[in-house]
Amino acid sequence: MSIDAQDHDDAETLDDQDEESKNRVQAWAADWIRNPQKAYTVMGVFLGGVLLTTTLFPLYWLFAVAMAPPGQTNIPLIPTRIDLYAFVDIFQQVPFARFMFNSLFYATTVTVVVILVASLAGYAFGRLDFRGKLPLLFSLLVLSWFPPATLFLPLFRAFNQQVKMLGLFTLPTEIYGTPGAVIAPLSAFTMPLAVFILMTFYAQIPDGLEDAARVEGSSRIGALFRVIMPLSAPGVATAGILTFITVYTEFFFSFLMTGDKASEWAPIVNGVLAFQSRYTVRYDLQAAASLVAIVPVAILVVLAQDKIVSGLTQGALKE
Amino acid sequence: MARVKLDDVSKSYEDVVAVKNMNLDLQDGEFITLVGPSGCGKSTTLETVAGLTKPTSGTIHIGDREVTNLPPKDRGIAMVFQNIALFPHMDVYDNISFGLRLRDFPKEEIDERVENAADIVELGGMLDRMPDELSGGQRQRVAIARSIVRNPDVFLMDEPLANLDAKLRVNMRTELQRLHKQLETTIIYVTHNQAEAMTMSDRIAVINGGELQQIAPPLTCYNEPANRFVAGFIGSPSMNFVPATVGDGELQANGYSLSYDTAAVEELTSREEVEIGVRPEDIYLVQNESEADKPSAPVEVVTDVLEPMGDEIFVYLKPIGSGEEDGMGSVEEREGLLMSVDPATDITEDQTVEIVFDRARIHLFDRGTGDAITHGVIEGAKMDTGSSEGEAQADD
Amino acid sequence: MAVEEAQSANRGGIVSRLATWTENLSEQTYALLLLAPGFLILLLFAFWPLASSFRMSFFKDVVVGPESLGGFVGFENYVKLLTDSNPFATLTFLDPAMETGIFQQALILTLLFAIISVAGETILGFAYAMLMKAEYRGQRFVRVLIIIPWAIPIVIQGMIFFLLFRPGYGLLTGPLHQLGIFPQLPLGDAFSGFVIVTVADVWKTSAFMALLILAGMESVNQDLYDVADVMGASTWQRFRYITFPLVFPALMVAMLFRTMGALRVYGIIESTGVGCSTVPSMTCLVTQFTFGSTTLYGSAAAVSVLIAITVGVFISIYLLFIRYSNQSLGLA
Repeated sequence: MSIDAQDHDDAETLDDQDEESKNRVQAWAADWIRNPQKAYTVMGVFLGGVLLTTTLFPLYWLFAVAMAPPGQTNIPLIPTRIDLYAFVDIFQQVPFARFMFNSLFYATTVTVVVILVASLAGYAFGRLDFRGKLPLLFSLLVLSWFPPATLFLPLFRAFNQQVKMLGLFTLPTEIYGTPGAVIAPLSAFTMPLAVFILMTFYAQIPDGLEDAARVEGSSRIGALFRVIMPLSAPGVATAGILTFITVYTEFFFSFLMTGDKASEWAPIVNGVLAFQSRYTVRYDLQAAASLVAIVPVAILVVLAQDKIVSGLTQGALKE
Repeated sequence: MARVKLDDVSKSYEDVVAVKNMNLDLQDGEFITLVGPSGCGKSTTLETVAGLTKPTSGTIHIGDREVTNLPPKDRGIAMVFQNIALFPHMDVYDNISFGLRLRDFPKEEIDERVENAADIVELGGMLDRMPDELSGGQRQRVAIARSIVRNPDVFLMDEPLANLDAKLRVNMRTELQRLHKQLETTIIYVTHNQAEAMTMSDRIAVINGGELQQIAPPLTCYNEPANRFVAGFIGSPSMNFVPATVGDGELQANGYSLSYDTAAVEELTSREEVEIGVRPEDIYLVQNESEADKPSAPVEVVTDVLEPMGDEIFVYLKPIGSGEEDGMGSVEEREGLLMSVDPATDITEDQTVEIVFDRARIHLFDRGTGDAITHGVIEGAKMDTGSSEGEAQADD
Repeated sequence: MAVEEAQSANRGGIVSRLATWTENLSEQTYALLLLAPGFLILLLFAFWPLASSFRMSFFKDVVVGPESLGGFVGFENYVKLLTDSNPFATLTFLDPAMETGIFQQALILTLLFAIISVAGETILGFAYAMLMKAEYRGQRFVRVLIIIPWAIPIVIQGMIFFLLFRPGYGLLTGPLHQLGIFPQLPLGDAFSGFVIVTVADVWKTSAFMALLILAGMESVNQDLYDVADVMGASTWQRFRYITFPLVFPALMVAMLFRTMGALRVYGIIESTGVGCSTVPSMTCLVTQFTFGSTTLYGSAAAVSVLIAITVGVFISIYLLFIRYSNQSLGLA
């Protein structure tokens, strides 16, 4: 630092400026060759800066667009004024709050269903010995390979066109457009990963703790919820967060299995697209709606960032 | 408080028999220890009593109730585990009160009982600590408090001291005994450590290979072991075994011959091969002959390795001229005896000494089945003249 | 003791009675009972639709009339898909003459997308992971910033890139047009649409890749780095001989996950406004056949089966590669 400051003072003498800068470059080069660690740090900081800018720029742009006055099409890179009116407007033009609620409802319900059901299955796979364990596990693995498109058409027909499920029974009319039409397939779709994560975590709990709970007066099922799940909290959190985010960000079923209206349980997919199709030049509303819709998951990421990383480290990659 | 009765309990997994026809009948308030080497089936036996494992066949009674198929929570038992098994996400209070809370006891009664239990194990003032803030001994106390707080009919303890360091283990041993005196509850205690078994129990059940070998008070197991396994397992260091063949009123063993009272031991006449067992502490140097109840005739041996233990010295003995082929059996069969002597004894390695056996404490086992034939019947021991001549020749 | 029994008997609710009932089940029965709810959901909403899709793919498309499926036609749908040219999409940058079968076009486009985006995500993901792993003040904050794009709904990811490239006034539309790289309406052009979709995908999912790679890095035994330091390894050597080989399995898993995701690409195409008619991925064909002006259920089912086969082939390649490289790297 002090050397830098000295160089700066000297540079004021015009005659020596060229010479000085050459010397400075040489000094840096010499310093870096002697201390490659320093060079790596500088390069790292520079690269990191570039990477972060790339990540954040699109989000910043969203913000800049949201600031633009209604109807303005040529939006400058730096907003001329701070105008938050669009953030209010989105809730008045369309029932955006309801769209948000629907999405959060889907994500929460699927997460609760999946964690409950996958906990039972993960317990069985992780802690019990039974015939048929490997084939059943393998069927889960294979299932997670299939794209949603493969599952979609028969479900669409069963939900929307009264085609018999399993060739046995018909679902009640117009299940399409109710929450079930999204929750059911997304639960099935996100379950295999949750089972795998929970299985690895539950398997690591020492047998003694479960035995102790049972001797103390708990049933086997009770021990799962009172002892094994609380002790696997990082795993349960990881599986839960992954499921929640998958469902909240999901496009395919959310878009195709619902109607367009918020009152028909349409999620934010439709809410955001509603702005795009109905208010074609209100870019400020489109951007503001997008930003608002990011808030819940952004909070989740901020709160649970280290849980996600540690959960993945401890469990998910050990299979 | 209750009797515990196991009738013909067996447990087999796919290809392994863990427990075979176990019959135990425990008196109310008895402290009984299941002891045996690891993998012998003692823990499985305990788990069948706990209900953590269902027996393949047989019945279990606690008190007057048959509990064979009841879940653990309905058996009126409490259990302390080897790895202590405190719930790491609960503080001491919650750990101790876990069972009471599951049974919906009123809050005041829970508080009172928890305080009581904590006092008994001297844990007062630590109720709000988390398990990871406690020392090993404190954790063990919490586990014990958790088990006594419900006033169970039977305590089950599965190697509760195995994970503690040596000093703590001895302390906790006395505490458990004190606790048993205070509570007078039936305790089934599992350990592979015969010293724990000897010091704490009213009776010891020695188990090997899933089968009950002997159930008897500790001293009976020590003095009159039912078979070769019990004899070798109980007592430290282990009993010496010497194979012998039965002659006319004499046992031929390893270059010695031992006479016995034919009238007293009729069983011997029907056998050819037996095994003689003698504990290290029942072998004496000739100068200490008076310490033995019934000293035998002196035998000459050579000392091998000495192991001074502080309070005693272990002396490995070998027969004179051992390690050389002499036609009297392989070198292996002639392996030496172990003797323990007073630390003040003046003894060195490779010294020829004379020893006597305590005839009252010599055991004979069937070499085929391992069953004990008799305890303390040998009349006298002497050098086998024939073989010592042979040895003398070999020495030349 | 009598007290205890009385107390527990008082709780004879349906739940506790159910729990008591499960106590006496054998381990086998108990395990199957626990698996039942999960597998019931999977049976209804995953296994059955899969089987049903497979079956539907052998039935004739019916364009007119109340019934949407005709009679059994064997592999006719598959043959049509692999030979007929494309009536819906104009893949001008791939096949101006439109002589290739419709499925091949979608397949090539999807494969191109998968390879380019996964390659980009792997490189970026590794860089992000290093950035998240390094220790400095504000590291937690940087981690959050890096992860956030992964948690953004696909429709909003699309919206962002729509706003960047929208007709005429998108921030990047003008400059890129003036440079002669993009046409005036980049979202409606097959080539620039493809680029936009790929960039959007890399932007969002690099974070996921980074998370998995980071998890791999964190599970590397840190003592190894101390050993390397003692042996005088340079930063590059530490990366080359410790980080990379030990993170490699995690990297493979991450790439496998992402390849599977990329082969299913659909949402980002719709939500950027590029649209399935401009950049028809394989999944696009399914929705076009299902919701298009003519409903072609048999063909749609056949496409979904072909997608599953493609994904299966890729998974096999990865698994073979992982096994092979584990052997050659000497990793267990």
